[in-house]
This record gives sequence, C-alpha cells and structure tokens, in this order.
Amino acid sequence: MSRPAPLIDIRIVDTTGVGTGEDSNSLHAEYERQFEHYYLPVSRQWSRPDIKFNALKTEWKTNTAHLSSITEICMHPAYQQIIGMGPLALPYIFAAMREKPDHWFWALKAINSEDPILPEQRGKIKEMTKAWLRWAKEQGY
Amino acid sequence: MASLGQGARVLVLSKERIESVFPHIVDSGYSISSPESSEYNCIAWAAEDTEKFWWPDNLNISYWPLEIPREETTEAFVRAFEMLGYSCCEDASCEEGYEKIAIYADSSSKPTHMARQLNSGHWTSKLGELEDVEHDLDAFKNSDYGDVHMIMKRPKEPKQ
Repeated sequence: MSRPAPLIDIRIVDTTGVGTGEDSNSLHAEYERQFEHYYLPVSRQWSRPDIKFNALKTEWKTNTAHLSSITEICMHPAYQQIIGMGPLALPYIFAAMREKPDHWFWALKAINSEDPILPEQRGKIKEMTKAWLRWAKEQGY
Repeated sequence: MASLGQGARVLVLSKERIESVFPHIVDSGYSISSPESSEYNCIAWAAEDTEKFWWPDNLNISYWPLEIPREETTEAFVRAFEMLGYSCCEDASCEEGYEKIAIYADSSSKPTHMARQLNSGHWTSKLGELEDVEHDLDAFKNSDYGDVHMIMKRPKEPKQ
C-alpha cells in the first residue's frame, strides 16, 4: 500500500551566500522562523536543541544587553536555561562565539567544570573567546 | 526605512532600544558617541579602559584589581577607583582641574553602573554592551541602574 501524500510539502532552500544581500538573508531567516513557528507545535520546537538555544539566546540578549553586571547578565533565567541544556548546548555556544565574542564563559565553566582562561586573560573578552574556541577545537567541537 | 543606509538603520534601532530601557533619557537629552561593544563595560569605561570587562564576580570571569575584594558593594567599587587616584566627594558639578566619576546603585546599594564626567560637564557612559552615550547624571532615573550613590574625583593630569 502506498503512503498518502503529505498534506504540505514546503521545502526551504538554503540561499545564504548565493549572491544574495544581507537584507535578503535576513528575510529568509525570518521566513524560516515563521515557517517553524506556524507548522511546529511549541512543545516540538523546544525538543530541537538549535531552536531552543536560539530562542533562549534571543530572550537573554534582549533583556540583558544594557546591563554591566556579569552576575545579573548570567543569572538571567534564559541564560540559566541554556546552562541547563548541558553539553547539548555546547556546539551552539561555540558557533555563537565564532560569530561574535560574548559572555558565554560562565555557561562554559558551569557545563564543563573546566576553565582554559589564564588569570591574566580575565575580562579580555576577545582573548577569552579565543582560548575557549581553542579548547573547543581540541575537544572536537 | 528601506531608503536609509545600513549605518542609519543600526542607529535608529539602537536609539529605540536605549530609549525603551531608559525612558527618562529622552527628556534629559543624550547622544550616542560610539558603536556598541561587548568587550568592555561601564566600569571599564569609567576607568578609561576599553580592553577589559570589569566586574567583581565571584567566578573570576571579569577583570577586577587583585588588591580589592571581589564583592558587589559600593565600598569595593570605591576602593577600586581609589587605586586610580579618585577620592569620594559630595559635589557632582564640573570643577576646574578635576575629573569625576559617578557610581550608580540599586535600592539595596548594589552597584549597577558607572559614568565619567566630560570637560563639558556632561557625563559619558557605556550602556552594558550597547553604545557609549553622553547624558545628564539623572538620565537613568526609573531604570535598572537605580540612582547615583557616590561621586568621586581626582585631579586632572596636566596636559603635556
């Protein structure tokens, strides 16, 4: 017996980097987000670590960008939920760090119980990011 | 928006974001004076250091002077800036021959923010990882930054 045809058959084609501008890529990313939001129930979306990570990261950045206290920044519930994802969050954290240095050090320390940062590097965000990305490479991320 | 260039669009978004977090900043008047950066924060900016993120967190992530306790208290912040030659004072007005900094704190006296006075008498702040802005001292009224808890000053270094 043949399988019934799917009710919807929408394929998202990755057009990033194919001669498209930044605005076009933003529109495409937003389209993908809307597509997932519309067709996937929230409960299923959150079972996908990439979607969960990106949603938490957006919430975290939106609510803490104006803060200077690293304690307040990292105690934000969305950041703590990322820590709660455990090692599952690591590939996404490292990908985010490769894109832009940011305050992922608390989460990395909490998830890994390791710290490749030298005392003299404390507070130097670029150097700390490089040290963690070096560690990530050594660990196969 | 489509007719604006990329730089102008970023600026509009920045202003919207700043004004939504600090509602009083519009009335008091402000201007954005540098691009956003997560490499340094307001404490570093007050200390004229754009290389490091300063905070006395107990996980030893941020920079904090080794000699000063890593405590989120106004006293620890005062001691850190005493090391840079500042001493506490009462007056936030612009004084010839002195430079001043302000420590903001929340209702439980926990430091939240710092600003540095410019020659014009206005103040300059780094807003978290957002931009540096020039503003009045009371620009952050009714926000997460709380109120000014301490003013410190030091003699200006003579110009070479």
